This record gives sequence, C-alpha cells and structure tokens, in this order.
Amino acid sequence: MKSQITNQFVFLFRPIFRRRRGSLIAGLSIVGAFYTICIFADFLAPYDYREQSLGEPMAPPSSIHFRDLDGRWRTRPFIHPQQLIDPLERRYQENRQLSYPLEFFARGYRYKIFGLTADRHLFGVVKIAGEERPRVHFLGTDDLGRDRFSRLLQASRFSLLVGPLSTLMAVVIGILIGCFAGYGRGRIDTVLMRITDTMMALPTLVLILAARAAFPLELPPWRAALLLITIFVALGWAEMARLTRGLVMELRERDFVLAAVSLGLSPAHILWRHILPNARRPLTVNALLMLPAFLLAETALSFFGIGVQEPEASWGKLLSAASEITLLERYPLILIAPAFAIIFFIFGIRMLSIGLDQEQFKDKETATFHRPQLASRE
Amino acid sequence: MSKLIFKLILSRIAQGILVLLILSILIFGLLAAAGGDAVNAIDGSPHISEETARELRRVYGLDQPFAIRYARWLGEIARGRLGYSISYQTPVGAILRPCLINTAVLAALAMAIAWATALTLGTAAAARAGTWIDHLCSLIVIMASSTPRLVLALLTLVMITYIPYGNTPAGRFLQLMLPTLILSVPLTAILLAQMRGRVKEVYDEEFVRAARAKGTSERSILFHHVLRPSLNPLITISGYSLGGLIGGSVIVERVFSWPGLGHLCVTAVQSRDVPLLMGIVLVTATAVLAGNLLADILLRLNDPRLR
Repeated sequence: MKSQITNQFVFLFRPIFRRRRGSLIAGLSIVGAFYTICIFADFLAPYDYREQSLGEPMAPPSSIHFRDLDGRWRTRPFIHPQQLIDPLERRYQENRQLSYPLEFFARGYRYKIFGLTADRHLFGVVKIAGEERPRVHFLGTDDLGRDRFSRLLQASRFSLLVGPLSTLMAVVIGILIGCFAGYGRGRIDTVLMRITDTMMALPTLVLILAARAAFPLELPPWRAALLLITIFVALGWAEMARLTRGLVMELRERDFVLAAVSLGLSPAHILWRHILPNARRPLTVNALLMLPAFLLAETALSFFGIGVQEPEASWGKLLSAASEITLLERYPLILIAPAFAIIFFIFGIRMLSIGLDQEQFKDKETATFHRPQLASRE
Repeated sequence: MSKLIFKLILSRIAQGILVLLILSILIFGLLAAAGGDAVNAIDGSPHISEETARELRRVYGLDQPFAIRYARWLGEIARGRLGYSISYQTPVGAILRPCLINTAVLAALAMAIAWATALTLGTAAAARAGTWIDHLCSLIVIMASSTPRLVLALLTLVMITYIPYGNTPAGRFLQLMLPTLILSVPLTAILLAQMRGRVKEVYDEEFVRAARAKGTSERSILFHHVLRPSLNPLITISGYSLGGLIGGSVIVERVFSWPGLGHLCVTAVQSRDVPLLMGIVLVTATAVLAGNLLADILLRLNDPRLR
C-alpha cells in the first residue's frame, strides 16, 4: 500500500500535460538558461557583488533613457546620476544636467572565467577621462550600496549549487539504502522502512531549523553551504530510499534478474547492471520533484538569516533584503526580480520532470510494470 | 472492525513513543555535540562578565555533562512538563499553548481550503474533461506547484500595501485569510492534481459502467459511485503533508507576523534556547504522528477493502 502512494506522488502531474516533447524541451531550455547565466555571472554583472558604495544606500533602480531632455533620440542609451537629497529617508533625485552614456563590453572589476582572467563586462557606464563615472543599478542598491542586480546573479550561483548538490547526494544515499532494503529484505528492510516512515512524517523545516540551531550562526560561507547540504541530505534521503526499495522489490522478481542470479552474478553486479538501469526513469523524476523542496529550504533559511552569511548572496538573502515595506511601495521591482527568478527556475524543473515522466510512457516496459491497469487501458 | 482500529491505534502509539524518544536523543545530542548554548547567544554582550556567564550556566545546569542534562529533561517530560525556557524565563508549556492553538487554526483552515478546492474543482475538471474548467485546473496546478510559499507571501505583502487594511471586520478577515490561503497553495496543487486524475480513473471502472447500464443518472453515479473511492489518495496525502504544512507555517507566520509555533521556532533557534526548541520539536512531531494515525483510521473507515 505505502509504496503505491509514493508512486502516486511521482505521477502527480502526469494527467496535466500530454505533449511530451514540448514540456521536456521547455524544461531543459529554462534550466539550461539558468545555468548558462550562472557560469557567465561575473561577465553579466556590472559590479562586484561585495563592493559597497556607501554614498548611495537603498538607491532606486536607475532609469535608462533613450531620448534626451529636448526629445531627440540618442545613439546610445544613457543615465542621469542619482543624488541623495534626503539621507534620513533615503530619497534620491536624478540630476538631469549630467548624462552618462552606457556601453557594451565595459571595463570593470577583474574576475576569472574558465581559468582566464578578464575585466570586460556586458555593460557599464562609459569612462570619461578625469571624471568619476556614476554607477548604473538595474535593480537599485541595498542598504550598504551594493548593486542588487549583481547580487542577484551571484545569488543564483549559490542557490543553484547548494540545492541541486544536496539533492544529488540525498539521491545517491537514498538509492544505496533503498537497494539494501529492497534486495536484502527481511529484518534490514523492516528496520529501514520504519526509519523512513518516521523521517517522512516529521515536520522537515522545523527539524532543519533545530539542526541549524546546533551550529554557530556565524560561519564562513563555504562551511555554511557544506553544513546546509549535510542537513538536507540527513533529512532528505528517506523519500528516495522508499521509492528505490519499492522498485527494486518489484524488479528482482522479474525473469531477467532470476536469470542473472542463476548465472551466479554477485548482488552488487545484478543491482548495478540489471535492476537500477530499469529503475532509472522513475528515480530521475522523483529526484526532480525533490529538488525544489531543497532549494526552497535553503531560501527559507537564508531568508530567516540563519543560512549563508554576509557578504555572500543567496536567493533567500535577496528576498529578505527586499522585504522592506516602505521601499516596496515605491519600487516593487526589487522584490519581483528575485521572486520571479525562483518561480521561473522551479517552473523549469517542474516542466522537466513532467517531460521526463511522459518519456517513460513511451517505454512500454517501464510503464507496464509501474501501473498495470493504467497502461493496459491506454 | 472496531477491534482492528483499536489495535492500529495501540501499535501506533507504541511506535510513536519510540520515534519521539529517538528523535529527542538525536536533536539533543546534535545540539550538545555542536557546543554553544543559550548563554553563548548573549556572550558577546559587554555587560556580561565571565563570572556571570559561569554563574548563569550553573543556575541553568548547562555545565552538566550531556547524559545528565538529557536525563533531567526526560524526567521533566515524564512528569508531564516541558521544562523551563531560558530566553523567556517561563515554563515552556505556557509559551507553547497559545502558539500551538494559533498554528492549529492556520493549518486546519489551510487544509479545509485545499480539500474544498480539490473536491469541487478537481471533480468538475474530471467530469468535464477537455473543457475550459479542465484547462483552468491544469493551469492552477502548474502555477501553484511552482510558486513557493515564501515568494507568494512576500508578493502578497507588496499587494497589501495597495489595499486599505485596517482594524475593520473586513481587515481582520483578510488578516486571517491571506496567511491561510498562502499556506494552502502547495497542498491545493497536490490534492487538485490527485483528485482530478483519480476521479478520471474511477470513471473508467467497471462498476461505473454497470451503474450506467442500469440507467443511473450521471449525478447519482458521481455522488454514489465515483466520489467515495476517489477520496483514498486525498486522505493519505493529507496525512503525509501535515509535516510540510507545519514546516510551511514557519515561513508564513514569519512573513505575516502570525504568533504561532513557526515564529517561536525561529526565535528559539536564534537564542539557542534548547528546552524551548525541544518542546517545539516534540509538540510538532506528536501532532504530525497523530495526524498520520487519524488519516489511517479515516482511510479504513472510507474504504472497507483495507480493513
């Protein structure tokens, strides 16, 4: 009964989309686009995400102009510098007298990409000799004057590394334990399944918070990331173990496995070469269903201020930096940008899992063994 | 049948106690292994001298070894108390009770919203497959399942600034409804997708065909033959998602300043208040285990085949 329920979880979204290629391609291109942006984050970002500009805290997004004051079109878009007129309320005014054109491939801070050092960035303000050029902020700045747009790019890097990495590790451990339980059966199976029952029923986010409480709040970024990954893996392997165990139990009764056993092959070889390849698709789909949960747990922890620490950026930190009600009233874009990054990425992952799930329908054998009644009716 | 359910309840209670015991040792051990305690949280303050810190540790028994601290805590639990919160200077039970009620209200309403949507919209979509209502259902599922609660809650905060939102009856109603609505969103997506798929499946069953052959009206088929067997996955998933619902309430409560367990939990983590944190973990885990048991009983009441 219980393994059947887990399977239904996997097939949650099956009835929704029928065009298989469409959702697979849409999902792949969305996720691919996100990772391409992450690789080239330094190039796309105009400024270093840690660089503070104390003269312009909480600056509003710069408006890009294409026509000057007389209404004539310019060849290059330009910005007016923003001046802090009320430091207490952090009100800014554009200085219309001055205008600075923008350019592509502007020089900026130095960064490393593919082992090479570069200092070109996609866009920036043209440098005029002897003058200090103002900064251009697509999404404004935070309270330390750091460019929100650059921080968003860097945050995507962190969030898109921690979430998937912890999913991957939880999946590997879950599959190993599931194989032990499903192939070994007997007492190991009973004990393991009791444990997974417990793990799956518990309020995960509360446990993550409790586990996080055990460690000091201030940790260097890479150790914080490592700690988050460990906590997620410790709490997330159960679901995968449950699914794997069900699949292994069903597959080990099949004729080709019996044939392999009668040939005298070792259990490890049988699991690796004969059973797991047949369980590949449902396992992948389930991993993709788990990914958003991990990603969001990281976001939530950082939002509460107990995930990654300053000056590093993650999606959760950006959301919390943007949730200041007086600022939001005037410039909702600073919240909407990270919010939509999260929504869009999860949407991509969902499409990918729907697409992959429907791929396995084509594969008659997998579909039949999974849901006999359903497959026979189609 | 009642005997079977009684047996189920007994075995689950025994299992549950074991689970809670293991969980408490795990969390307690983890907190002890990592070092740092409630006094550490105020250590940086210049007003607290080394001697005061040592004295505080002695008063709260924080200088004792792990086994003794755990045994003391367990003794308190055995006497029906949850211990004494260090940061609030009050018994943990007294802090927890109002918060627990607040969270229970939030979670129960969210569950009700999810069920109501799944029952009405999910059934309608399956009964009228391929029409606009079916497509609307698909759209809601994919949108709701890819919008995290945190993001939704923050976006709602932005929208609230445009709505007059005072201490009027309408304002208070909105204050209650917005957090519950947001809390229910992911659950609604799951239940809706399940209900729609399941009702469609049941429509294909032979007993439905037999009922049609008898000349039963479509209305009667839906209410007497299709609906009841379709409820099984909904009940099971509701039981399993209780943990997620309480976890989600951490986020919603934080954003909307709702004085519930989730809010308290974040505070307890930040001040490293071990007794309070253990109390919260214990209470939520018990609630989730009880919810699972309730779901299993309901499942057996609904489906005679499982008895």
